[in-house]
Amino acid sequence: MQSKSNWLKLSKAQLALPYGLFLVCFVLAPLIVIIYYAFTNGEGVFTIENLTGFFLSTKTIGTLAYSFGIAIVTTSVCLLLAYPIAYILARGNFKHKSVILMIFIMPMWINFTLRITALKEILTIIEGNLSFHPFLNTVIGMTYDFLPFMILPIYTTLLKLDKNLLEAASDLGADTVQTFMKVTLPLSVPGIISGIFMVFLPSMTNYVVLDMLYNSTYIMGSLIGAYFSAYDWHGGSMISLILLIIILVFTLCTNRYADEDAGSSRGGVISR
Amino acid sequence: MRRKMHKKLLAAILAFVCVCTLQNGITVHAKAEDEIVLRVCNWEEYIDLGGWDEEERIELDNGVEILGVNPLYDDFEDWYFETYGKKVRVEYSCFGTNEDLYNQLNLGDTYDLVCPSEYMIMKLMAEGRLEPYSEEFYDKNNKCNYYINNVSPYIDKMMRENEINGESWSKYAAGYMWGITGVLYNPAEVTQDEASTWKVFANEKFKRQVALKDNVRDSYFATLGILKADLLTDSDFINAPDYASRLEDEMNDIHPDTINEAQDILDSLMGNIYSLETDSGKADMITGKILVDYQWSGDAVYAMDQADEDDFTLMFAVPKESTNLWFDGWVMLKNGIGGSAEQKHAAEAFVNFVSRTDSAVRNMYYIGYTSSIAGAEGDTTVFDYMNWCYGAEDSDTDTIEYPVGYFFSGDDADMDYVITASTEQIGRQLYAQYPSQEVMQRTVVMRYFDEDASKLINRMWINVRCFDIKDVPVVVWVIVLFVILALLGKRALGGKTR
Repeated sequence: MQSKSNWLKLSKAQLALPYGLFLVCFVLAPLIVIIYYAFTNGEGVFTIENLTGFFLSTKTIGTLAYSFGIAIVTTSVCLLLAYPIAYILARGNFKHKSVILMIFIMPMWINFTLRITALKEILTIIEGNLSFHPFLNTVIGMTYDFLPFMILPIYTTLLKLDKNLLEAASDLGADTVQTFMKVTLPLSVPGIISGIFMVFLPSMTNYVVLDMLYNSTYIMGSLIGAYFSAYDWHGGSMISLILLIIILVFTLCTNRYADEDAGSSRGGVISR
Repeated sequence: MRRKMHKKLLAAILAFVCVCTLQNGITVHAKAEDEIVLRVCNWEEYIDLGGWDEEERIELDNGVEILGVNPLYDDFEDWYFETYGKKVRVEYSCFGTNEDLYNQLNLGDTYDLVCPSEYMIMKLMAEGRLEPYSEEFYDKNNKCNYYINNVSPYIDKMMRENEINGESWSKYAAGYMWGITGVLYNPAEVTQDEASTWKVFANEKFKRQVALKDNVRDSYFATLGILKADLLTDSDFINAPDYASRLEDEMNDIHPDTINEAQDILDSLMGNIYSLETDSGKADMITGKILVDYQWSGDAVYAMDQADEDDFTLMFAVPKESTNLWFDGWVMLKNGIGGSAEQKHAAEAFVNFVSRTDSAVRNMYYIGYTSSIAGAEGDTTVFDYMNWCYGAEDSDTDTIEYPVGYFFSGDDADMDYVITASTEQIGRQLYAQYPSQEVMQRTVVMRYFDEDASKLINRMWINVRCFDIKDVPVVVWVIVLFVILALLGKRALGGKTR
């Protein structure tokens, strides 16, 4: 009992100490190292050449565009597929809702490389030769991988939606389409944003999908890797930093939409 | 020859074993003070880890029996204690690529003994990081100096004749495994003629059915082969007295203009290949997804073995232009040895132990690559193992005589080293494992790129792999413009309804 009361006496600051240490060692310190490398050259002298070099080369900027392309198309496809499913699941009068939801989530129980390997064989049967449609294959692979991350937050948001609002809407004379457009859709925006967040960013960098589906074009993730294995830590750090800033801007832009609830539904699944 | 399990599975087991041995070592030996700790870093799955079944016991013609019970480095610990009366503990770890190893060394990892490829050895040599082998190591009269007694005269000569900064490689490196690169092909669809040139990767007939290697050095070499094909196959060039050195210069051409031309060729190759692969090519060949694959000889042997099990035939061809002779070798690191004579002795003893002919056979059986070890005079273990693998059965009626004397005794006419093999071996495992002397004449060791060339070539590779913004289709630009206008328009109209 004695020890328990001591434990309770710890202040909030003391309780936060372990995580604070973790943050300093594994987030802040590496970040400082990355920034240092990004703005120095081989001799350790300050330079912005890494930055200008990135934006002046049509190849590196093209990689950024290609990554964006994959991410935008993947996210759109995921959204188009996930919203109806989530809507039907949340609204439908199913007896075993959780079982049906589980069916959609179940692919996540299987290791992701295994799933992509299986997908590769299926696509080979359909297309014959995978290498003719690298972009399409990548989008299919990414969608396959990330779809549950889009379904879950939308489903949660729709489930929590106050049914009284819908009744009120129909009482006031709105038909089904109007109710959906004016009430359901706007209220599910936090879930959508949360889903976009979880699909868009990983699909910009997850180059394992490209590798496994034989798309030999670099995206941001593999480009960083290429710089590091060519011993160019400075260029690699700069690209990491640029990616970090893009994510930061993206987060700031979407933050004002995402409310607390959506935020909590995101926590469980993002740490894969 | 043995690698029945999938490479990755093997790597996982190996990693597990590495961890286990390390932990074992730490708990059991933590307090032993007089023991030497030898830190060895090798490629993944690049040493016999033992655990053979009794039925895997190899009985050779010379009476030697080979069976791997324990990992080779554990056997070394016992052998060292028995021979020198001192305890040594091997801390065995693994690296994935030469670049990974180099980065690890730069990040401060210390090892006594590592086993990188030839170009990384050259780079480390040029940077003055390597500890030379002692004079003692080259003393042929010492029976325990297995390396110098057993190394193939061919490999030994190559390592003595090549120099970096006026010092020969053999002063710093001891050969471990070696091989060449070539073309693995499906003989049902591709003829030997078509496969015997680097141009096969540009051949429109096999559009999207050829695979190159996902690393810049191998791909650059193949590209040089395509770029200089006319010169390299010209009979005047081949018959020139200084052919060997001229060939070496041509295939090590790192002039900026050549690099630019190589980029154009690689760009066009990208439209013809199925994939850039490191590991997946073997499986894709066996499942018939691709017809032609750039392959290292050891992996080619493995793929052909696998295909044989599925009643599917694959063959190996060596491009007529030139091919790459590569090897991995043991080098000692200065900052690991740290001037300690004891440490250095243990490291050299380790190299000697893995250079015993029985160790070499165990490794070859386990890894599938070709060892640099041929065996001292009178020790035919390695040659008998070759016969055990590839020699004709009594029932075979059609046989060929395949001389490998250049490797075993330095003389290709040596009748003691002729393998009588079934004609089915032509262009297959035996030819990949020990290329004929005729093939060896057009091999080139690819040197390391100096810093300037390295920058250009890495940049070229990134350029080849990246998507050029100029290639974005017009329709995409129109859509992007449309979306931006729509967003701006909405904002201007006060679209904030919520």
